[in-house]
This record gives sequence, structure tokens and C-alpha cells, in this order.
Amino acid sequence: MSTTASPSVPERPLPTPTRESQPYWDGLREGRFMLQHCSACGRVRHYPRPVCPHCFSMESAYKEMPTGGIIHSWTVCHHPFNFYFKATAPYVVALVDMDAGVRVNAQIRGIAEGDLAIGKRVRLAFEPVTKDVTLPYFVAG
Amino acid sequence: MSDVGRRKSMTHPLRDKAAVSGIGETAYTRGTPKSGLALQLEASLAAIEDAGLSPRDIDGVVPYFPGSGIAEDFAANLGLPDLKLSVFVPMGGASCVAAIQTAAMAVATGVCNHVLISVGRTGYSGARVSTRLQQFPQFALAAEFEAPIGMFAPAQLYAQGARRHMALYGTTARHFAEIAVVTRQHAILNGNVVMNKPLTVEEHHASRMIADPFRLFDCSLESDGGAAIIVSAADQARDLRKPLVTVMGVAEGHPESPASIAQRPDLLEFGLARAAPRAYAMAGVGPQDMDLAEIYDCFTFTVINQLELLGFCKKGEGGPFIMDGRIKVGGDLPLNTHGGLLSQGHVVGLNHVIELTRQLRRDAGKAQVKDAELGLVTGYGDMGDGAVAILRRAA
Repeated sequence: MSTTASPSVPERPLPTPTRESQPYWDGLREGRFMLQHCSACGRVRHYPRPVCPHCFSMESAYKEMPTGGIIHSWTVCHHPFNFYFKATAPYVVALVDMDAGVRVNAQIRGIAEGDLAIGKRVRLAFEPVTKDVTLPYFVAG
Repeated sequence: MSDVGRRKSMTHPLRDKAAVSGIGETAYTRGTPKSGLALQLEASLAAIEDAGLSPRDIDGVVPYFPGSGIAEDFAANLGLPDLKLSVFVPMGGASCVAAIQTAAMAVATGVCNHVLISVGRTGYSGARVSTRLQQFPQFALAAEFEAPIGMFAPAQLYAQGARRHMALYGTTARHFAEIAVVTRQHAILNGNVVMNKPLTVEEHHASRMIADPFRLFDCSLESDGGAAIIVSAADQARDLRKPLVTVMGVAEGHPESPASIAQRPDLLEFGLARAAPRAYAMAGVGPQDMDLAEIYDCFTFTVINQLELLGFCKKGEGGPFIMDGRIKVGGDLPLNTHGGLLSQGHVVGLNHVIELTRQLRRDAGKAQVKDAELGLVTGYGDMGDGAVAILRRAA
């Protein structure tokens, strides 16, 4: 490697969980897809927040949900706006309609760009990136 | 005027009560020794001069936020003797047009006489887009859930909607290129622009991919510059220096799932869909009445999407709608006659308001739309907030 002053390895952007979202991230770390549900009306919501927008209850609980879904749309990211991603670009980020009733945005691995299509079935998988943080990604379902 | 306008018996209390009385802008460049605040103040002084006012006359300020200057900077630099209104309208790219609504309310009610709306940005020589966005509280959800998986810049966040529009409606890169190429032609007519060389469809298609389907020439510029307008009470603006241009209708709108595009039921339906009917109702006119339109063009596709939400064409028909010369100066609906964010410069769309005002004053030089009397300008941003203002040349 060069001995001249070169930038250190750029830092990976990591989530800063909130009091509302902590159980979601704890779930991913344990390999479980956990989503917030209203304790009063039972409806699921994502991203996590303090109040149910349907019935305004502030009581909620997390439940483990199925990991399947279908592609709603996707983009192939060529330009790394954050230098951390320069090494892996181009990468695919898919927006997926989860069977659980919410959407998840995550990278897709192992599907050729030409095989991407709206409606294609995928499944959420778990990638530990630090001791505390596991990120979701999608594989063919 | 439209049939809708003629039938309207109740006039909206804000209609034509405010005027865009002054416009000012700096040179648009890539590279500047000036600070964002200096650019913002330079443009502000130009707008005040254009209106024929003194800086001492400004009694309200709506600086772009998060940006360069805050109210204290204007009071300190312009010696404002009695500031009566200091607000931010933090709606990203929709901020400047939404600020017209706030300013119109202030001058129509007598709270203020002359409100200064301004932007100063060192988008090229200072912090770039992904850094700037981290200052937005509205991007907290994107920072937590999307930045870690490699999705944070607007090009990436809006690309999934564009992909869906292509898949559902057959919109193509050729349609995107038409926006880029015509906008560039208009920029060249203007002259105070960052991009002053012609662009071809082939060059558009050959430009590097940023976030598929967005190529380099589908994306707006990172540039340096400042822009400002004065919104005055219409009865006071009548005696000012330039032909009177009034705010006939104005509205802002916020989408479902305002801080997360990902969770929005329809990626292609956002705040403008709610703002547009309100602005048309206030003005008593419809899209068919417009002589021209200045549409917020953070991306080529975004223009197509907004034309649908504004009712210029049906949902899904925006691609074919903009073809065959329709959006050129001299066409049925000239668009972004100054070169927009794609080719003139990125001052968060305040340059669009300036251009529409200039057109209605019949002061737009080579880009002048003949006999322009009525036009609209949009703002779009912050994950889908929208705003629209309908301006007219007063009789």
C-alpha cells in the first residue's frame, strides 16, 4: 500500500437506534424480523414510531414476522455517494413489499441484474456487520 | 380564463393579494471564493434593488433552511430596523415555493409589507449533497434505515419511483433525455448558467449511470450561487419599479409517509398532488390556462411525474406528453425556460420563481414566451413535499 497520507478506510454508515426502533435492530441481530404492532388495534407499522397513526394508541409490542416478499422496485447504485460503498459499487437496492405488510429497502445479493423484475419473490436474510448491528439483505425467495 | 374560473363565485382571500415585486440572483458557477451567506446577501440586495426598495423596507425574512443565512444575519448585514417575521419553511426543494405561501399570508394580513425569500449555496465548492442532507432532521429515518444499506442520496431514493414509472407506463430514457436536452437549449438562451454547451440525446444516453435509471445528465447540478425574491403586498407593489406580477394561487402539500419514500403506498404520488388542486382553486384557473411552467427539476424524471400530478396530462402519460417540441420555447407548454436545476444552477428552485416572474414581466430575453400572462412554478423535495405557485401579469 501507499505510504503517503491516504484517507483511512471510510466509516460504514450505521443505524443509531431510537427508543422506538431498538427492538427492530435487536431482532435483526438475533436473526429475527421483528415489527412494531399497535397493542390497541393490532395494526403493523414501519418505520417504528411512538403513536399508532390509525387509532392513536401509544401502546405497542414487537412480533416476529415472515421474511418473504416481492420486489416493488429497485435501483442499481453505481455512484457511491458515501465513500464506504465505493468498493462494492455497483450494488442493487430493492424495495420489497413484505408479506408482513410493510416495505423494506435492502441490498439484493445473488440475483443477476437482468433477472430483476417487479413482482419477483425474495426473502430477507441477515448480515452481521458489527457486534451490535445486523443489517437486512435480500436473496431469491 | 377557464370555465372553472368564471363559475367561481367566492374569491379566495389570498388570491392576488401578494406580488413578486423583486428578483435577484448571482452568477451561477462551479467554484466561488464567496461564502454561501455572501451569495445569499448579494442576491438579496439585487432583489431589493430590482424592486426599487431600500434594505430598510424589508420587514420579513424566510431564508432557506438548513442553509446559509438566518434572520440574525439579515438584520446584521442589511440593518433591518424592525423585522416582524422570521420563519423557516423546511421542505427541501419545495421550500422556496412554499415560502411564497407563507409570505403571501404575511403581507395579505398586514403583518409585513415586504418579505425576503432567499437562498445562498456553495453546492459545488462547499459541502455536497449527501453531507448537506445529514443536517436535515427530516432525513433521520433515511439515515437510520436506508443509509446503512447504501441508499441515501436523492438520486438513489427517487430512482426506485422512476424505475416503477418505466415498468408500469413504458416511460423510457428517451423521454428523460428530452427533458435534459430541451432544458439545456433553454439554458443557452439564458446565458447566466453553469452548462452552456449544447447537449444531444446521444450524449445523454452515453453519460455514466448514477443510480439506475438515472444517468449523470438526468441529475441536477451541484453549483454555487444565490437567489432571492421579494414578496410584497400587492397594493404596495403596484407603485414599485417593475410590472406587477401577482400570486394568483399558491399551496403546499405533504405526502403520505412524509419522511420515508419506502413506506409510501404509491411512490409516484406525493405532496404536489394535494397542493395543485388547492392552488388551482385559489386562482380559479387550471393547467390548460398556463402559458408556461417552471417545474422543479432535481431529476429529469421528476418533471415528467409532476406534469402528471399537475393535471397537464394523465397519470403515466408524462413521457409522450413532453415530446415533439411541446416543452420548447415556441411550443405549447414551454418548460424551464432558464435552464432549471439541470443546466442553469441549483439554488433550490428559487431560480424557477425568478424566471417565471421575468417571463411575466416580458423581460426574459431570447427565452421570452410570447405574450406570457399566466404561468406556474413548482417546488419538490424533502422526500416528496410539494408546492405550487400560479403567477400572473396584472392587467
